[in-house]
Amino acid sequence: MSEQMSAPRITASYLDSFVGRVVTIVGKVTQLRGDQATIDADGVVTILLNRDAHLANGNAAQVIGKVNPDLSIKALSTRDVGAGVDMTLCAAVAELTHRHKEIFISEN
Amino acid sequence: MSAYSGYQKTSYGAQGGDDSGGFFAGGGSQQGSQGGGGKSYQDESLRPLTIKQILDAEEPYSGADFKVDGAPITQITFVGQVLSINPQQTNLTIKVDDGTGQIDVKKWIDADKQSDAEPGFELGSHIRVWGRLKSFSNKRHVGAHVIRPVTDFNEVNYHLLEATYVHLFYTRGAVGDSGAGPNNSDSMFVDGGDGYNAGNGGAQLPSKLSGCSGNAKRVYNYLNETPGGNDGMHLNNITGALGLAVRDVLTAADELLGLGIIYTTVDDETWAILEY
Repeated sequence: MSEQMSAPRITASYLDSFVGRVVTIVGKVTQLRGDQATIDADGVVTILLNRDAHLANGNAAQVIGKVNPDLSIKALSTRDVGAGVDMTLCAAVAELTHRHKEIFISEN
Repeated sequence: MSAYSGYQKTSYGAQGGDDSGGFFAGGGSQQGSQGGGGKSYQDESLRPLTIKQILDAEEPYSGADFKVDGAPITQITFVGQVLSINPQQTNLTIKVDDGTGQIDVKKWIDADKQSDAEPGFELGSHIRVWGRLKSFSNKRHVGAHVIRPVTDFNEVNYHLLEATYVHLFYTRGAVGDSGAGPNNSDSMFVDGGDGYNAGNGGAQLPSKLSGCSGNAKRVYNYLNETPGGNDGMHLNNITGALGLAVRDVLTAADELLGLGIIYTTVDDETWAILEY
């Protein structure tokens, strides 16, 4: 783990401005196929899972990973965060963190 | 509430060396210590922060109180994911990441309580921490009073919203333009007021300014944040810095003068904040 690196919270619509960077994304799992999953985070995002992923269809998942050039995300860490997650809130908070970068996003 | 009683105890215990008077007062009852204890306890607040804010907090000089957005921080709370747990002889050192940064959290282990040695959460899980920011040989860590696992993920988002709200409260002044009517904003201050009132002179802001116009709040904030010495700031500086018209600033100043929040200094167009 590199020191003091921030993993900005994003939704699907932010993907193309974060290619090559590590991000945090929360979405509802819509498909699980072996080492690939798709989540809905204000838009569909493909996740390339790591081996220790334990996600459940229909639940929300928090994925921290690197954005590939094809806008899929290579997961570094995945976490099932349950069913009762307010997805509208997640999208709003992601938006908020970009509006107030000064307390959320380090430039590095 | 049991969590809170433990939290109070550790807090005063940790402070004992610095302020023995307060320690004894604190030993009595929570109520008594809040009301009648040493002055320092009246300045206590509990600020929600992101880890980036914790890392960016200013330390005016070594050993001084840390400041975030110009306001001193005492107790803080944040939410993050556990990256590593490192049990030591006397404490647990936990590295926490909230997506904005990473920080070490140290939880002292009470040797008499066996349960203290077990963290109660696993790697990767979300936790909420209450504690104080400490600096030790130029490395920051949070001395935790209480750590508890977050069971509902919405709390993570909630915390980020709360941290932003308080950040904006200190940097842009309270509510007003956000679409809420004046009455609504009033009631929001009442909610937040107790926590925010601790701290510097600017903490008077919520109650006194709640009825003011947006411009008046901006002028107040500018005066509050700009070190102008005893002479305060001149009209021209304020218009320049805020991008307001001369007339708007004069109106705002009249409003603040009328409320006794500021006073004129060297001439009628130079104001400073009246602190008492």
